Amino acid sequence: MTTAPFPTLATAELSAEAAALATGPEEHPLHPAHTPTGQLRLGVFFQGVNSSTIWRLPESGDQVAWESFEALIRTAERGKFAAFFLGEGLRLREHRGVPFELDVAGRPDAQTLLAALAAITERIGLVATQNTTYNDPVDLARRLQTLDLLSGGRAGWNVVTTDNAWTGENFRRGGYLDHADRYVHAEAFVQVAQQLWRGEQINHDGAHYTVRAQGALPRSAQGEPVLFQAGASPAGQDFAARTADVIFSPHGGLEAAAEFRRSIAERAVAAGRDANSVLILPGAEIVLAPTEAEAEEKIRWVRDLQIGPEQAIALLEQYWGRDLSGFDPDGPLPDVPPEVVESGVTRGSGFQFAKAEELTRTWREEAAAKGQSILEFAREKSGARRGSFSGSYDAVADRLTEYARLGAIDGLNITPWLIPSGLDDIVDHLIPRLQERGVYPEDYAGSTLRENLGLPPR
Amino acid sequence: MSTTLPDTLTPADPAAGTAQPVLALDLVPDPAVLPSLAELAEASEEAGLGALTLSDGPLHPIHAASYLAPLTSRIALLARTDAVHVEPFHLATQLMSLDHISHGRAGWLLRAETDPQAAAAVGRETLPAAARAREAGDVLTASRLVWDSWAEDAVVRDADRGLYLDASRLQYADFQGETFSVRGPAITPRSPQGLLPVLVADADRADVGDRVATELADGRALDVPLAPGVGAEELAAQITRALNTAATAPATEGAFAAVRLVRLVGTPADADPAALRALLTELVERLAVGATVAPPPAAGARLRDQLGLPVPAFHADPARRADRARTHDSASTPDSTRTPVKETA
Repeated sequence: MTTAPFPTLATAELSAEAAALATGPEEHPLHPAHTPTGQLRLGVFFQGVNSSTIWRLPESGDQVAWESFEALIRTAERGKFAAFFLGEGLRLREHRGVPFELDVAGRPDAQTLLAALAAITERIGLVATQNTTYNDPVDLARRLQTLDLLSGGRAGWNVVTTDNAWTGENFRRGGYLDHADRYVHAEAFVQVAQQLWRGEQINHDGAHYTVRAQGALPRSAQGEPVLFQAGASPAGQDFAARTADVIFSPHGGLEAAAEFRRSIAERAVAAGRDANSVLILPGAEIVLAPTEAEAEEKIRWVRDLQIGPEQAIALLEQYWGRDLSGFDPDGPLPDVPPEVVESGVTRGSGFQFAKAEELTRTWREEAAAKGQSILEFAREKSGARRGSFSGSYDAVADRLTEYARLGAIDGLNITPWLIPSGLDDIVDHLIPRLQERGVYPEDYAGSTLRENLGLPPR
Repeated sequence: MSTTLPDTLTPADPAAGTAQPVLALDLVPDPAVLPSLAELAEASEEAGLGALTLSDGPLHPIHAASYLAPLTSRIALLARTDAVHVEPFHLATQLMSLDHISHGRAGWLLRAETDPQAAAAVGRETLPAAARAREAGDVLTASRLVWDSWAEDAVVRDADRGLYLDASRLQYADFQGETFSVRGPAITPRSPQGLLPVLVADADRADVGDRVATELADGRALDVPLAPGVGAEELAAQITRALNTAATAPATEGAFAAVRLVRLVGTPADADPAALRALLTELVERLAVGATVAPPPAAGARLRDQLGLPVPAFHADPARRADRARTHDSASTPDSTRTPVKETA
């Protein structure tokens, strides 16, 4: 390259891809003006309900037992993870009108569980995914503040929204929220929560609810809970840039991660905040092995365990919208058209007939061109794949080091594919290599989540 | 109006259970108590108490109970919390989660909050007494239907058939109350006790109304004040007297409900754990002489075991079976199982 890399990168050996990104003027997304500390922070995401957690192995732990959560969080704290995340889904997933039987399902309430985990941990952050549509703001804010106080300032809230009327059938309000209003509502909700945390008098008369309340609890050691957000849409990114401390991103590729960094930095500045005020943690599934060849083999093994013949058929049924159980998983993709999906009873994943028609035709052509069976196609589409952060211990450590030095990301939020032992090789083999390379903390910086994420007090 | 409760979801028979109630101490989880909360719980357990009740304070009582679960191993943990100004599905989920986390030591002391501020906080009108009592009853019934929506064997983990769950062993709650409905099933598998014991403390007896206290709840928590400076001998005598009075009271208001718990109320926020341990240890010894209260809980005992109540089996209701859609065409139903997009290089 003719343009000199940034001073901080002078001694780093960069790949051609990274070197190309590490150039340019101050407004470049990877200019140090926009890139934070060069340090990575890790979170572990115990999803509890998903298709990527393997339940078929003898070592697959109970998904609801206290012992599984205890074992995983102890490993994470041994590895100086900044945060332990729990997911939330407020209605049991269904497939063709019946609870979905093929994936892990059923989990404890996130905050109730985190309150217990606070008692057996010292430093790791405790982050609950909680929905703004189907909670009352004062109740949710009080519970989060209780968690923050019980844990000595380690609570976090992953703010999520839904407009899903199907989920609303479990709640008083039902499906009251329009899709376009979900972030407007969420922002008002977060403001009420923050007022409560700050001991303020709340007189909120919003479009969806009325609140009269007064904060009654003291500030925690970190002030108030850390806010996480995962919106990938422009509206979601703007919401995060205005309100969040940390944003989850789906972008693991270096160029996409850099682009996302620029987008968030610009939106933060537009919202009157520092460019670096929002940390970015891509979600990641990591498969590690001593060598690259072993890692390749392990990725295939993980993928085959995640996606069996039944899951492959079910995956296609979601897009075809009809019963495909008569098709052979080892045969070609179904040569039948999809059926209309009614958008009026959407669950956030229904889609229109025209899109289904186009998508299924594209998939049929793609699979036929590659000579793939239903099972092979489904495994490639939705199982574990190579990704940015799988490979040999050294290769992944090198790659993450490059990301850190470039400031493309601030860390990762890792979903283990095995519970509870899925973090063992990361903690035993990857983290020491990251520490040797100077991009991962040797120890916790402090006792609160804000301190351990390097965030200013709030 | 409320749906009719299935037979097996009706509360415990007043005649069922052990003759002796379980001895409990009430703690109000206030920030001032926080530094000694764990010590107070451990002191209570070591003294041989059967239960702690965590009352609604500035801190959320279910969180406080859950925090204490891994720090204790035998003592039961009952959250004393409102049934009216809540999302019933959330409350039911939180309580059954506490039961999982505590390995079956959870219970609910049901309250009906009368403070107008509780209604204002959720943007609702303050309910008159009768409507408030009906609401509390509906929330209790809905909670039981949610708790009973997974069979014990719903998680099959059948690798040969590729099935993690058996949907035929799940059922919808399908609760329709006066002001809300809950569809279900639970988002949490069945908890160790199946149905958590639900009791009403004397302090809340008037607020919850007759139906909840005497027809829907599993029993009564007899409140005995823990006066400052009281000795174990005097406290033991007070408890014995209060139990005798309850046993011989005429069948007037509240007397139908069996006394399941004796609850010591009024623990000061600055209580010294060592002094409390000494008092409670002597109290437990004195009460053991006359078998006035249940003996200290055995390791692994669920709250239902302490109360002598059976753990109810899943009550399958064919009309609410979760896999009923399989029997007819459901192609028009969209689904929610789309695999999330994975990160790519």
